[in-house]
Order: sequence, then structure tokens, then C-alpha cells
Amino acid sequence: MADTSHNGHKAPDSFEVRILRQGGPGQNSYWERHRVKHEQDMNVISVLQRIAANAQTVDGKSVAPVAWDCNCLEEVCGACTMVVNGRTRQACTALVDRLLEDNSKEIELQPMTKFPVLRDLMVDRSRMFRSLQKVKAWVPVDGYYDMGPGPKQSREQQEVAYPLSECMSCGCCLEACPQYTKVELTQRDDESDADFQKRKNAAYDSSFIGAAAISQAVLFNSHPTGKNTAGERLDALMDEGGIQVCGNAQNCVAVCPKEIPLTTSIAKAGRATTIHAIKKWFDR
Amino acid sequence: METNPSFLARHEFLIRRLHSLSGLIPVGAYMCIHLLTNASTLDSSATFQRAVYQIHSLGHLLPVVEWVFIFIPILFHAIIGVVIIRGGLPNYGSYKYVNNLRYTLQRATGMIAFVFIMWHVFHMHGWFHFKDWREGIAEPLGGAQFAPYNAASSLGAAMMMWGVLYPILYAIGVLSCVFHLANGIWTMGITWGVWVSPVAQKRADRICAAFGIVLAVVGLSGIGGAVRIGDHGQRYEEAKAVEEKMWDAKIASGEIDPEEGLHKRSDTNDGHASAE
Repeated sequence: MADTSHNGHKAPDSFEVRILRQGGPGQNSYWERHRVKHEQDMNVISVLQRIAANAQTVDGKSVAPVAWDCNCLEEVCGACTMVVNGRTRQACTALVDRLLEDNSKEIELQPMTKFPVLRDLMVDRSRMFRSLQKVKAWVPVDGYYDMGPGPKQSREQQEVAYPLSECMSCGCCLEACPQYTKVELTQRDDESDADFQKRKNAAYDSSFIGAAAISQAVLFNSHPTGKNTAGERLDALMDEGGIQVCGNAQNCVAVCPKEIPLTTSIAKAGRATTIHAIKKWFDR
Repeated sequence: METNPSFLARHEFLIRRLHSLSGLIPVGAYMCIHLLTNASTLDSSATFQRAVYQIHSLGHLLPVVEWVFIFIPILFHAIIGVVIIRGGLPNYGSYKYVNNLRYTLQRATGMIAFVFIMWHVFHMHGWFHFKDWREGIAEPLGGAQFAPYNAASSLGAAMMMWGVLYPILYAIGVLSCVFHLANGIWTMGITWGVWVSPVAQKRADRICAAFGIVLAVVGLSGIGGAVRIGDHGQRYEEAKAVEEKMWDAKIASGEIDPEEGLHKRSDTNDGHASAE
């Protein structure tokens, strides 16, 4: 069947795109069909551009253009992550000809299901960034004077750390995780923005932190300077919604577009928290 | 508007780790001993009866040991397990990976195991040993069928109460428990950080699978042993005879007080042997 996979060969003149749309947060979602003319080397982003330009459903009804997020167009920013044909991935590297190999009639696009929808295919992934804050996913070197160069890292250390540093916070690992469930709050009429943010943070903090943040905690705990605050990161991982919520389904590592060894990070964090818990128990 | 997190939330890490540990020790370890003991019926009814006498040699301490090391840990593991299951959203339909299937099966077998164990303990032991409960409620409902001092014969009869139905239910229950333990040991190793790298996890996976297959064979052998006795008039009578002999010897040596031991015998014995 190799010859059908080549561009243009046996490709249809046009194909349908089924999109799960939503006007705004909290509104009802609905499916909408668009027809797109097939062109060479299309990806889902260029499909969405054609749909925006046309802004007409298959029934000829004029509609508002479908909203989506994108930025780098080379799978390093994570902004265009969505659910394509039932699978979480980046729209920019979802090539149309490959997708049509599975189903030559249509392509199905949905927003990620674990994050609140802002509009159409755009979601609010701030819970993930909150998780990174929670585990202090950085090296604390801010100060009033030059602290000089950090300690040297061995080649071996670098080779372990580099893959973890490739995380682009796209959220695929969280979307595919059966233990990571959606948290969506709505602002009350009498609630200020600051109060609403506080309430959201509290809800995010008590829900599962997810593979991405666990892996970042492992990355910065392995860094020679980052190590200084290793205990704080492990404390965060043992908080409510921490690493203990992981159910070992291992979908995270299977869907990660950067092939980050997330389950290795989870097991490392499991070991580190085991030791940390025992130490804390006997040291206090 | 500050709300204090619940006890479960504040101690989530500790509780989940205890849940993980309790699955292996004592619950999983107990299950291995239990299944091995049951499989001893394949050797002979006397071997099985000897093992049961050994367990019951704990006397009045037996219920304490059972509650502390078996029932309470199982209930803890089951109740926290239900809380964990309610917090997840299986998605094998969208992400068809082997480990995702195992995640789903771990939850399914856990729930089957919980229902099975509750039923099994009722079927064999009637849950509580108070005379009024046992005779008034458990036995009329088909429970409390196991008589420890007529171990093999009462086990065989209990297994064959409804033809092939109970052996099938027991096979489903035992296989669910075995999968849950073998797969649970593998995930436990990741949770506690014993096997970390993919290679180590693969290796551990093979060992857990081999362990599970062996334990499944042992478990099914126990069921087969019970069926063998309960389904065959002559073997049943032979089991009865050897149990009588052992009971008489225990009485003669003074190891068992006949008055106290009577409730651990089948009602069908009429006490004729002990009267001699």
C-alpha cells in the first residue's frame, strides 16, 4: 500500500472537516462540517486557514471563522495542540495526506478535553502553568550580585537532562491521562477577577499535577544548582493532587510528541518522594 | 471563603502509599498463602485438613489475626480503591495502548475482586460467627458452608451447590484477584520507584507476568481440587472418613475440646464419631 501514501497520488479533490465548535466558555458545543479543497502538503493549520477564509459550512451557511491557536509551526511551542481524529497532537505536524490515509472522507478536529474551552479549538491551559509554579520548575539564581558560573555538568548528566528540557508544555500528556480530569470554574457575578483567580488556583492546586510538571521537577532536581531547592519540589509533589494520583496508565509517554521519558521521570520522582517521606518522618 | 481540605486530601500521599503497600502486604501475601493452601486438596483431603487444623491451632487468637491482618487491610484497600477509581476517567477507547488497557483492567478486576471476596466470605464463613446469625440468616441464605474440621468435604460440597455455577464464579473471581495482584505489583514498583528505567520496567513486567501465571494455575488448581471432591460421591465419602479419623485423634490427644470444636464441624456428622 506504499504508493497511496505519496502526495497527490490517489488523493481526493476535496475532503470534509468535522469541527467541534463552542462560542465561548460555558456555552454549548456543537459539530460543524466544512469542505476543503485538497492541496499539496497541507497540514491541519493550513486547513484551518482555508476554513477561516471560506467561513462557510457544507450546507452553504455563512459562519464565524473557526478560532484556533498556533505559533511556531514546527512543533516546538505546543500552542496548536488539539484533538485530531480522536488523538491529542499538534495541528502543525498533523499532515493532511497522512490523516486521509486513515479516513479519506473526513478529518475530525476537537479542542483538548481536559482544559476549559475559550472558543472553538482554543483552550485555557493555565492549570498546567500553575502546576509548573507549584513545583518551582526553575533554577533560583535571582540576586543582587553576580553569583559567578554554576557548577559544571557532566556529559552524562546533560544527556539525561536534555530530553526533559525539550518539554514545550503542550499538554498532550495531560489530555491522554485518565487520572487528569477537567477542572472548569465559572466566575460568579459578585466575584472580582483577583478572587476568581484565587479560587481557580486553589482548585488547580488540589487537582492532579500531571506528568509534565512531575518531569520538570525531576529535571530541576537533577540540576546542580536546582538541587538546592529539591526538598521544596518534592514537598510540592507530595501535596494533594501530587505524584500519588498517578495511575500508571503510561499514556503520557506514549503520546508525548517530544518523546520525553515521562514514565521514567515519574518513577524517579516516586523513588525520590519515597526517600523524602521516610527522611522527613524520622528527622522531625 | 476558606475551606479546610478534608482528612483524605491532607494525607493523600500517605494514604495512597499505604493503599499501595497494603495490596502487597498483607493482602497479596495472604492471598498467595490462601491459594496455596487450597491447592493442597489436590494432594489429598488429609493434607488440606492438616493445613486447616494448623491455621485453627491459633484458637481464640484466630479472629484477632483475621481482622487485623486480613479483613481490615482488605476493607481499607477496597474502600480507598473505590475512591481512586472514582477519581479517574478510563480512556482506552481513544488511546489503545497495552498499559492503558492494564490501567482499565486493574480497576475492573479490583471491583470484581471486591464483590467476589465479600460474596466468597459470606458463602464460606457467613461473615459473622454468632450462632443466631449463622443459623438464622447465613446458612438459610446459602452462606457459612465451610466447616473447618470437615475442611475438604464441606469445601467440595459448598463448591458444587449449584452445579458448575460456583466453580465458574470462583474461577472469574480468583483470576481477577490474581491479575489485580500481579499487575498491582508491577505498578507498585513504579509508584515506589523500585523499577525506574523502561528496560527495568520491562524486566519487572516479565517477572510479574510469570508470577501471575503461576499463581493463576495454583488458584485454579484449588478450585479444581474442591470440584474433584464435591463432584464425586466416593471421594467425598473418603474425605469425610479421613476427617473423622483426624477429629477423633485430635479429641483423643486433648488438642481440641469437643464442645468448643463442634461448631467448626459439618451439621451432617451427627457427632457419631466423637461419641465413641
